[in-house]
Amino acid sequence: MRRIICYLLLLVSANSVADISVITNINNGIDSVSRQKVQDIFMGRSRSFPEGNFALPLDLNPLRSEFYFKLTGRPVEQINAYWARIMFSGQASPPTMLPDEQTLLKTIRENTGAIGYIDSNHVDKTQVRVLFILK
Amino acid sequence: MIIARTIWLTNAWDRLIKQRIICLKGMRNSFATLIVLVVFPFSQILANDDTVNWSVKGFGTLALTGTDTREIGYKRDLSQAKNVKRPWGFLTDSRLGIQLDVDINQSLHATTQWVARDHAGNFFEQNLEWAFLRWSYDDTLDFRFGRMGADLFLLSDYRNVGYAYPWMRPPHEFYASVPMYHFDGIDIKKKINIDDDLLSLKFFAGYSYNQLPTVFPELYEVESPVVGGNIVYQFNNWTARAGYAFLHLLTDGPVDELTDILGQPQTNFAIPNISQIIPHLHIKNTEIHYMSIGAAYDDSTWFAQAEASYIKTQTSFYPDSANAYLSLGRRFSTVSIYTLYGVSQTFHKRIDIPQPALPVPELHQLTQLVDKVINDNEVDQQSVSLGLRWDFHPKAALKAQWSHYWLGNNGAALWQKTNAQDIPDQVNVWSVGIDFIY
Repeated sequence: MRRIICYLLLLVSANSVADISVITNINNGIDSVSRQKVQDIFMGRSRSFPEGNFALPLDLNPLRSEFYFKLTGRPVEQINAYWARIMFSGQASPPTMLPDEQTLLKTIRENTGAIGYIDSNHVDKTQVRVLFILK
Repeated sequence: MIIARTIWLTNAWDRLIKQRIICLKGMRNSFATLIVLVVFPFSQILANDDTVNWSVKGFGTLALTGTDTREIGYKRDLSQAKNVKRPWGFLTDSRLGIQLDVDINQSLHATTQWVARDHAGNFFEQNLEWAFLRWSYDDTLDFRFGRMGADLFLLSDYRNVGYAYPWMRPPHEFYASVPMYHFDGIDIKKKINIDDDLLSLKFFAGYSYNQLPTVFPELYEVESPVVGGNIVYQFNNWTARAGYAFLHLLTDGPVDELTDILGQPQTNFAIPNISQIIPHLHIKNTEIHYMSIGAAYDDSTWFAQAEASYIKTQTSFYPDSANAYLSLGRRFSTVSIYTLYGVSQTFHKRIDIPQPALPVPELHQLTQLVDKVINDNEVDQQSVSLGLRWDFHPKAALKAQWSHYWLGNNGAALWQKTNAQDIPDQVNVWSVGIDFIY
């Protein structure tokens, strides 16, 4: 119930976006990944795509809270506490934080293994490859 | 950007060299120095490569902690030496950590972490928590070499990172009796995916060097090989864990002077058979077996955690003990409330100390000291806590905790004591503080 209310709040919020697309470099050989794999990569449990290629996860600062809430159902404070645990116990490093969409798209164009997320309305499929859509 | 980064690293490197030379003079037996000397130049050389990512991050706690007793002092763990006469202060729980991470390439990573905190030992060396290289063979197999956290329990190894757990400090009954934060050596971790669940197996081996306060002015320089392993299973909102570690102590406490006196013929004339006590004062070549199990649950609204350990030893300095805690909490948006119950009990057979044949005060003081050293290491403690955490900022949380302790007869070894007769039956501990990451 609580989750539904949160979703409703997100829907009516002025800053919210309908869907978030998880994207990668256009030359990355894979077509899609599972929700679990997206979680594993962004939560530091996996460092590679299903085929075994190295994955470079990227966070987009303005969309970060919404992305993790849609992905895990947890607010950003809990995500940060989770990362404090993982990072400060030497297990993994969090995704690189990027300030805006332009920087994110540039980084994705330059790295075959980069994986990030943007507002689905801003996706240009000739430039990037969409791996998963978070509704 | 890359040039700036290189200049920064070069400067940081110079500073480290200078600091290290200063610290080396005061450092004893420091494998850590070797690790820093190896890890840093290595990452430095490779840091000139375009692909290297490095980051400096940190965490900290600023907390005021106090009790309602002036008889015993509250210690966060056995590595602290507390001034009993000052029941309130910032030292118990405040700390500041800094961590440098370098991704040398896709499979090689270097990490160094140093934490400024109240520690009775060498401030630089004992607080250097990590300096290790991690090599990932693939996504599921990691090797680490260097100084790393001792992976003994659920809070391995983020005991210092208050922001990462709900309480003001790790549950006292379970965590305070384990002063070993790190060791120098290797570990191997294997992750196995079972559908959506994750099974992790870890093996570690190395050498640990810890400095602990004692009833004497000198520290106990604990040196010990350590080996162990653990198994962790993560599924849905659950984490379950079991672990084991073995230590073989290579050093004695600062008891040479005392054993010399107890061995002398005139002492044994005045206190018959007192020399028979000497073997009880030696801790060298004894073994410690550490066994623990634990489970944690977190569904984003409710969270719970419980752990239990049994520590098997062969010495009255650090008697066998059973330790456990259970915590339950609930989040209301950015505010969490929690409760915590902990219990710790040692199993120590009291050793009778021979009494003086003559009523001389100095002799009586000597037998009292021997009694204190041998028999005054017992823990008989329970506590309940109520606490609150408010995540008022995405990277900072305000915490407040009240704990009520019950201490059994002669059972306050986790506290700083002046005179064993003055242990109160019950103590309240209050604390308020801010945890942050940066």
